[in-house]
Amino acid sequence: MNAILVDKLTKVFPGGIVAVDSVDFDVRVGEIFGFLGPNGAGKTTTIKMLNTLIRPTSGTAIISGYDIRKNAAGVRRRIGYVGQNVGVDEYATAWENLVLYGHFYRLDRSTLKQRMNELLDLVDLAGHEHRMVSTYSGGMRKRLDIAMGLIHWPDVVFLDEPTVGLDPQTRAHIWDYIRALARFLNVTIFLTTHYMDEADQLSDRIAIIDNGKIIAVGTPDELKKSISGDVVILSPCSAREEDCQGFIEKSRQSLADRSYVVAMQAMERDLAVYVTEGETALPDIVRRLNQDGIEVRTIAFSRPSLDDVFLRYTGKIIRDQEGVPTTYADIQRRRNKRKS
Amino acid sequence: MSLVTDVWFQLLRHLRMQLRMRMWIVVSLIQPIIWLVLFTQVFTSLSTLPDLEGVSYLQFFAPGVIVMTVMFGSAWAGMGLLHDMDMGILDKMMATPVTRLSILLARVMASMIVLLVQAMVILGIAVIMGVYVTTGLPGLLVMVILVSLLGLGFAAFSSGVAMYVKRSEPLVGVVNFIALPTVFLSSAMMPPNLLPEWLDTMRRFNPLDYAVTGVRDLVLNGWVWPDLLSSLGVLSVWAMMGTIFGMIMFRYKLQ
Ligand SMILES: Nc1ncnc2c1ncn2[C@@H]1O[C@H](COP(=O)(O)OP(=O)(O)OP(=O)(O)O)[C@@H](O)[C@H]1O
Ligand SMILES: [Mg+2]
Repeated sequence: MNAILVDKLTKVFPGGIVAVDSVDFDVRVGEIFGFLGPNGAGKTTTIKMLNTLIRPTSGTAIISGYDIRKNAAGVRRRIGYVGQNVGVDEYATAWENLVLYGHFYRLDRSTLKQRMNELLDLVDLAGHEHRMVSTYSGGMRKRLDIAMGLIHWPDVVFLDEPTVGLDPQTRAHIWDYIRALARFLNVTIFLTTHYMDEADQLSDRIAIIDNGKIIAVGTPDELKKSISGDVVILSPCSAREEDCQGFIEKSRQSLADRSYVVAMQAMERDLAVYVTEGETALPDIVRRLNQDGIEVRTIAFSRPSLDDVFLRYTGKIIRDQEGVPTTYADIQRRRNKRKS
Repeated sequence: MSLVTDVWFQLLRHLRMQLRMRMWIVVSLIQPIIWLVLFTQVFTSLSTLPDLEGVSYLQFFAPGVIVMTVMFGSAWAGMGLLHDMDMGILDKMMATPVTRLSILLARVMASMIVLLVQAMVILGIAVIMGVYVTTGLPGLLVMVILVSLLGLGFAAFSSGVAMYVKRSEPLVGVVNFIALPTVFLSSAMMPPNLLPEWLDTMRRFNPLDYAVTGVRDLVLNGWVWPDLLSSLGVLSVWAMMGTIFGMIMFRYKLQ
């Protein structure tokens, strides 16, 4: 059974920007499905089309049996939407916010009251429900935001970057809530994120989207296995070297005929080499490059992570934080952390 | 039916929000009082003009202040909508089964209710300051209808524009561009026969002027039926045009 079935969904914005480009995927009932991609990949646009907030240019999707183009009203009754912005009313209490949404879904008084109490417990806001939201912390607001999207026991909940802008501790908490509600309510969860670890930790399956196109779908393990072996990241140029790309290209050519090389991907100042086995490949790579007169400045290898999966399929390093491009040093740091 | 309840629950939300902004209530009441006091002081000498026929400028100007307050207030109605849009509140609501039209109607009605209360307070103060309403309580009722229609039109237009431009800067620009000329192209501050001829012609295309003359007649001159009916007619059309414009913008900008 599929909770979401997406068929060639496409959105072209005025001005010709193709935000989502003929995307196909399906999400099974009860699954946590992660939609992973960098800034501007088309995550929000996809989620807004699925939530009937914007009309697709072409293609369609079936959610809980309802077609988003033909039966938007049916879709709206069965989904919960938790947007990228916290859509709660600051000039009201959590209780008032929830009551308003209860009425939007035409819940009767007693059902509404019961659900509100359950949800306030679930997101740990019980005892704060009569405080003004303007006095809440960012994490509390997000939790209320999530609770509001659940008031009608939806079949599918959409979470657009649920932990963006929150500190690590709060993020971990939100993850717990998401897992709890997946278990407790047995809902299907579709979440977008540009955090690798979030997608890895939470999702049963992941779709990687870049430039409006889906480039890979699978469980986190499947995706990691799809790049078999290890990943070697090396830099053939010093920090001041201007023709770094030239050196990267030279390194690439020099390694092209090695039997253990599965694939290569150039980055800004590094070259990622996907190899069958890191331990044996590493010395040979250094030797080989030296023979060709290329000095290896830094080199490291690791088991593939989702970072590498993303890198492999897009040639880009996903950003760890909004507006801050991930540097090589960041990757190193993350690698070391994972190893220890 | 769901339209009615949807409007009702959003109306509660908007009114509650208004009540909680105490500072705003104080400011919005002080402003018209300043107008009443200040303008009547500035224009004291106008009372000696034969055109005012012995009526004090306060008596003449009070209806103008009431109507202007309603207009300025309702012209800003779109700002609240933009706030909801920026905060992601509108998107979140649009993903629920809520009736789309109720979002517009609840906003417009909330702004109407607040402005009517304000208008009544101003009238009360004016009465204390010595203004006498010739038509009494029935006249008051008709005044409420007149200013409601005027405000409805402006609030709906403002919401429609907000929906169209989607950012506050252009809306501020539009409102500022429209508001003052609308006041000066009317008899709100000046007796009509003191206006230059072109202005006197222009004001016939100005909904604000119909509200001003209607309310002023009810305060000063009693039941002037032909004028009153034309005011009611024009303002009804105005309110309807605004609502239709707002609805089209909602249709066009939301789906
Ligand atoms: N209303 C719009 N009009 C024109 N272009 C748009 C509009 N909304 C989004 N885009 C463009 O579509 C592309 C995808 O945007 P989208 O918001 O879906 O990305 P995203 O994956 O959600 O990114 P982020 O991680 O920054 O939230 C971007 O290039 C964006 O500039
Ligand atoms: Mg987004």
